[in-house]
Amino acid sequence: MAIETIGVQVDGVSKRFSHRVKGEIYAARDVHLDVAPGEFLTLLGPSGCGKTTTLRMIAGFEHPDAGSIRLGGQDVTGLPANQRNIGFVFQNYALFPHLSVFDNVAYGLQVRGQAAAVIAKSVGDVLALVGLSGYEHQFSGQLSGGEQQRVALARAIVIRPRVLLFDEPLSNLDAKLRVQMRTEIRDLQRSLAITTIYVTHDQEEAMAVSDRIAVMSQGSVVQEGTAEDLYYRPASEFVATFVGRVNLVPGTLIERSGDTVTVAALGTTVRAGTGHSAVAPGAAVKLVMRPEVLELVEVGAGDFRADVISCTFLGEKTEYLLRCGDVELQCVRHNAGAVGAIQEGSPVGVRVAASAVTVLPEAAR
Amino acid sequence: MPCAVTAVTTVSAPAIGRDPAVATVVIALWALLLLFVVYPLFTLLGRVLFDHGAFTTAGIAAILTDRHQVRAFWNSLLLALLVGTGGTIIGFVFAFTAARSRLPRWLLTLIDAAVLLPLVSPPFTTAIAMIFSFGPRGLITYELLGLKGVTVYGLVSTLSSEILTYFPIAYLTLRPLLGAIDSNLEGMALSLGASRWRVFRTVTLPLCIPGLANAFLLLFAASLADFATPLILAGNNFPVLPTQAYLQITGLFDLRGGAALSFMLLVPALGVFLLQRYWVSRRFYVTVTGKGAGQTPFDSISPAVRVTLLAACALVAATILYFYALLLYASLVQALGANHALTLRHYRVIFTEGLRVIRDTLIIAGLAMPLGGLYGILLGYLVARKPFVGRRTMELVSMVNYALPGTIVGIAYLIAFNDPPIELTGTALIIVACYVFRYGATGIRATVAMLQQIDKSLEEASQGLGAGSGTTFRRVTLPLILPAFFTGLGVVFIRSMTAISATIFLVSISWTLITVRILENITELSLGPAAAYSVLVVVIVFVVIALIGRGLRWFRAPGVIPVTSMFGG
Repeated sequence: MAIETIGVQVDGVSKRFSHRVKGEIYAARDVHLDVAPGEFLTLLGPSGCGKTTTLRMIAGFEHPDAGSIRLGGQDVTGLPANQRNIGFVFQNYALFPHLSVFDNVAYGLQVRGQAAAVIAKSVGDVLALVGLSGYEHQFSGQLSGGEQQRVALARAIVIRPRVLLFDEPLSNLDAKLRVQMRTEIRDLQRSLAITTIYVTHDQEEAMAVSDRIAVMSQGSVVQEGTAEDLYYRPASEFVATFVGRVNLVPGTLIERSGDTVTVAALGTTVRAGTGHSAVAPGAAVKLVMRPEVLELVEVGAGDFRADVISCTFLGEKTEYLLRCGDVELQCVRHNAGAVGAIQEGSPVGVRVAASAVTVLPEAAR
Repeated sequence: MPCAVTAVTTVSAPAIGRDPAVATVVIALWALLLLFVVYPLFTLLGRVLFDHGAFTTAGIAAILTDRHQVRAFWNSLLLALLVGTGGTIIGFVFAFTAARSRLPRWLLTLIDAAVLLPLVSPPFTTAIAMIFSFGPRGLITYELLGLKGVTVYGLVSTLSSEILTYFPIAYLTLRPLLGAIDSNLEGMALSLGASRWRVFRTVTLPLCIPGLANAFLLLFAASLADFATPLILAGNNFPVLPTQAYLQITGLFDLRGGAALSFMLLVPALGVFLLQRYWVSRRFYVTVTGKGAGQTPFDSISPAVRVTLLAACALVAATILYFYALLLYASLVQALGANHALTLRHYRVIFTEGLRVIRDTLIIAGLAMPLGGLYGILLGYLVARKPFVGRRTMELVSMVNYALPGTIVGIAYLIAFNDPPIELTGTALIIVACYVFRYGATGIRATVAMLQQIDKSLEEASQGLGAGSGTTFRRVTLPLILPAFFTGLGVVFIRSMTAISATIFLVSISWTLITVRILENITELSLGPAAAYSVLVVVIVFVVIALIGRGLRWFRAPGVIPVTSMFGG
């Protein structure tokens, strides 16, 4: 199934709403996005950050107050949704309850006036693609959540959309099915090479499916990058804390050489990458330390010494809460076999994997 | 993540400019509403408050100084108050019994049928049956008890007749409410040690108060507007406003006086309408979603109470059934109370010399039904789904003719369309328009209620798949709100067959209605044909309801929310 591959440009788009209590609020504020042809971009952020509004403006369900949206170079800002040729998968699937699976999937083709034989063939093909051959005459009420999700997906891709948009498509599924479906969505997107924009508040889901992630907060895109980039080199405390768990350790930058810095913190000096920040020696900084970059060693070895406040065995891993001076640190170690003899209340040495630590300027909230 | 969607409306330019189809329909509907709702009402007000271009309160002052008319005003309010109270109590007893006493299915069906009868009959059917039973030669007063010189006319008979006619409205508003109360709340109170009576008093009843207030106001308005029952039963000693207005116009040919009287009626009617719309409807603790609460109700009543409630309901239901049986009997005998020999004479009369009336009525109802259904669903869809300037105003205006007593609407139409520029008096169109814009409101409300349960994303999905707003409406929205459409059709048809208060002012030599003919028969004391006409109307209405029900099942696609009631709320 060949689909024309195009890019999406969102240029300075803003959208205001009037709120009963808060007055006029920005749902999206000067949003810029540049999605390459065939790319899988995820808009990630907490509730109310503007990601769904942005997606709905790309689809044409909402109209921006400012800015423009281009699909494959064509300005579609004033174009209604039904003329944009976009596939949209809704959070609640929005399957037509009065139509069978076949008629749901065929709907977009019928609207386009295609011949019945062509429609039958296309619908059959796409249902086979999503693994629902034989479900043609079922109604949405008779399907499980995962099956409804697949019908919604089939209905969106059968029209050969130029862009595929997902609005939290997995939030109504149970945890196991969610993992399975996100893999299926990812594989399908790769095989069709279709430009895709995906909205979620689940950072793990975002990392699992995306080529690139744009983190949004209060209507604006605050950082874009690969999952690894966001995780290890967050540009702000918001991104650092929203994407994964993190220790933010206050310190003072002593020295800077190339891409690495030396920071006085935790009663010692810690080497770290500069990340996205440009801080000068003497500045107050925060070290971005993920729980798993802290390695527990014998007392006296490692970079600094800490006390174990609690440890929680979780099967594949053990989580520790450490204290060093007045700083509390989260630490996660994978259990490869028998658990070590670390006791609550006992001191340990901590070694920091310097290559995975970065700094943030104190002010970068 | 519908982050900004709840409690939020868009600031940017409304979508109307983007969609020429929507814009066209909106403009057309506004034109119709202005012509058939706003214009007549303002003409009425103009006639009351202006004389040759000068503002005057003389018309109203004339009424306020006329003791007879002032009495009519207070009588109307008193009657409405009593009907509201009595009807709400009986409606609540019925609703509570149906919801809580674990009746077998067939008994529930029987109750529903008995309750439905008054709603689908011409408004004065119970009034005729009252005369048959308690009149000077009444079956009960004269034949059974041998009383002579009994007068049935007055407050008591009018009140009883109106309560029996209108309590089903209270039943239909309260029953879903009682069904929707989470029975865990009552179970919880019981487990905390409260007695059943205490649970009822402190949990169940307080939760129902907004519903009771709502039912009371609906009944109050219905009684205030009722014209036919007092005309037949109230007699000379108990004048009420709607009948006074009618007599002023038809008896004394005093259009201005009639208009002024109907203006007096307008004030309490509007008050009740606004109270119901902006105060009571926002105070519901229990949300009626259409889904059942899903738990088995706990044993909320003791066996003794159950028997008492059942007996009370049985008594009321039996009275209703007796009245209708009596009506049927009266249509089949020579002269009830005098000669009880069976005959088909009355039916022969109505199917020969009365055939034209039947034909006229069916033509008018047949025209009003599809137009009213279409109007209801279009307007309901637009105000519920399309953001355009003034949509709240449009919804409010669309409810005005429904909320106002028929007498006012009828007089307003009579004044507005009697002279050029728009001369419609004497045509079928004026009656059809009156029915469409008065009773289409039920379809509007049903449509809005259904659309509130249908997620907007369904329409967006259609749009995203390339369908324009016309295609989306036809292929997605319309099939899903079809039950509301059929409700609209049903109500407009039933009311077109049974209503009289507005249209009695609009009938002419060329076009008249069965209900009006029944009234004429009653005043001429030819009660046999009146009974036969009434039976015919009930039969036609039942047949059409059955057909609509069948049509609904035929057209209804799977997955569509079933319609709860044709008359609820």
